[in-house]
Amino acid sequence: MEPNPGTLAGSISIRPDQEETGFESLQFREEIQRLIAVPPENASSFTALLELPATQAMELLHSPPSEEGDPAPLSGDSLHGISDDHISYISSFNGNPTFPSNKALVERAAKFSVFASGENSPETSSVPSNSSANLEKVKSEPAETDSNPNSSQPLVSDPTVESKTQRSAKRKEREKKGKGCTKKSKNETSQDAQKLPYVHVRARRGQATDSHSLAERARREKINARMKLLQELVPGCTKISGTALVLDEIINHVQSLQRQVEFLSMRLAAVNPRVDYNLEGLFATESGSLVDSNFPSMVAPLVCPEIPFNGSRQDYQQQWHFDALQQPLWGREEDSHTFITPDNSLLSYDSANSASLHSNQLKMEL
Amino acid sequence: MASSISETNFEESKRIKRRKTGDELRDPDTIDHTRWRSESEQRIYSTKLFEAIRQVRRNSSPVNKVSSGRDIQDAADRVLAVAAKGRTRWSRAILASRLRLRLAHNNKKHKKARLAKVTGSIRSKMPEKKRFIPALQRKVKVLSRLVPGCRKVSFPNLLEETTDYISALEMQVRAMAALTELLTGSPVDRLASTSDS
Repeated sequence: MEPNPGTLAGSISIRPDQEETGFESLQFREEIQRLIAVPPENASSFTALLELPATQAMELLHSPPSEEGDPAPLSGDSLHGISDDHISYISSFNGNPTFPSNKALVERAAKFSVFASGENSPETSSVPSNSSANLEKVKSEPAETDSNPNSSQPLVSDPTVESKTQRSAKRKEREKKGKGCTKKSKNETSQDAQKLPYVHVRARRGQATDSHSLAERARREKINARMKLLQELVPGCTKISGTALVLDEIINHVQSLQRQVEFLSMRLAAVNPRVDYNLEGLFATESGSLVDSNFPSMVAPLVCPEIPFNGSRQDYQQQWHFDALQQPLWGREEDSHTFITPDNSLLSYDSANSASLHSNQLKMEL
Repeated sequence: MASSISETNFEESKRIKRRKTGDELRDPDTIDHTRWRSESEQRIYSTKLFEAIRQVRRNSSPVNKVSSGRDIQDAADRVLAVAAKGRTRWSRAILASRLRLRLAHNNKKHKKARLAKVTGSIRSKMPEKKRFIPALQRKVKVLSRLVPGCRKVSFPNLLEETTDYISALEMQVRAMAALTELLTGSPVDRLASTSDS
């Protein structure tokens, strides 16, 4: 027991400042995971020892040397100290003759209590103030455990504290990276997004790291991505630069599409009396091209009721040789507009039909 | 067909009541805009459209009221909204508005009240997170009025809805043009219609 804290203290004082934060954090995480895996049976003992007052826990802590249950009391104690006022924890620590009153160790314990006592936000708020010091201490942990693989005590204190502060420590690291660094890597942000409720976006070089501007930037990127999609959709928009003009184009396009729908629906309404609905026949032909040879077969079932008109239609076909071509679409539509009653719709349909037959014939000739 | 459509109307209205009308965080990947271009979607839509128009015809003829273009257009929009499977706001709004009108009509409310109900709920300031120049703001408002059910929607979501709406409208135009071409036997000149009023 005794040499272990001594080595702990020694390693803390020896430990130089690390600049490689990424590597250490990785190490740190690995260590935590390894340590957590080591004493799995501590789960129940943690909660059991939480209820104990400090003195009893300390007793248990100090009885341990021969016992196998070393991890349990210490873990309980550390937890208990954390849940309590950390000062009592420190004093109990100091009062114990077995532990050297090492200021560094005490400080580290205090820092841990700071980590674990707060919720998410207090943690992160307290963290930046102590960030550098904490990180040093925290990162010294894995190194110590590395150097003392056989010592159960520091190993144990780590997982107990670390298990509670694991999430918080990770979050703290990322927070620091997010705020302080200007490195350009996005891999960890996606990782963060999976684990945390909010997304850390790493600031790029030369850009503000203010949370407001970060949020603004994310929003702007979302908007720009969608605008790009829209531009591709609307014909002739890709060349236009500037949101206002693109929006104009989009509005025009939507309006024109809606007008087309309205126009087509009116046509359909006008045509409708005829459509008595040989569905299979109609759709069999629709699958093919709608232009040439289908029309006669298509029109035939439709105009069957109009047999008396057939003869006259033939005449119309010859007469309307070029009239129908030059006749604008509008002209035909106006006819269908005016004829609302079924009788007249027959007529309008007839005229439209004959014109179509004629145009169809022209196409076939071509 | 009418019964199935009315069922979906009811379901849609229930879903709409549960959903909040404000801004919804939406993952851009969930809505696929290329689906309106697929052959299957077009076939589904044209079949449903045909059936719907037939229904309209059948419903209107006993009353001896000729189906106006407006009815056909409403039917076509409704079918389009159904084909959207309720994943977009505009489709839900189309179906909901029909249901709302029908309920109001059934309850025999005063006509003015009905109109107010339809328009009052949708007239509100659109919450914006991004600071717009007033010119842009006006355009965004116009656009939000064009797309059904998108008045209270934030700008990025509005763009998303517009994308889907434009794709759907294009499919609708193509399907209806094909249908009219089929029925009247005359090709519909789409360019002429775009140069319309």
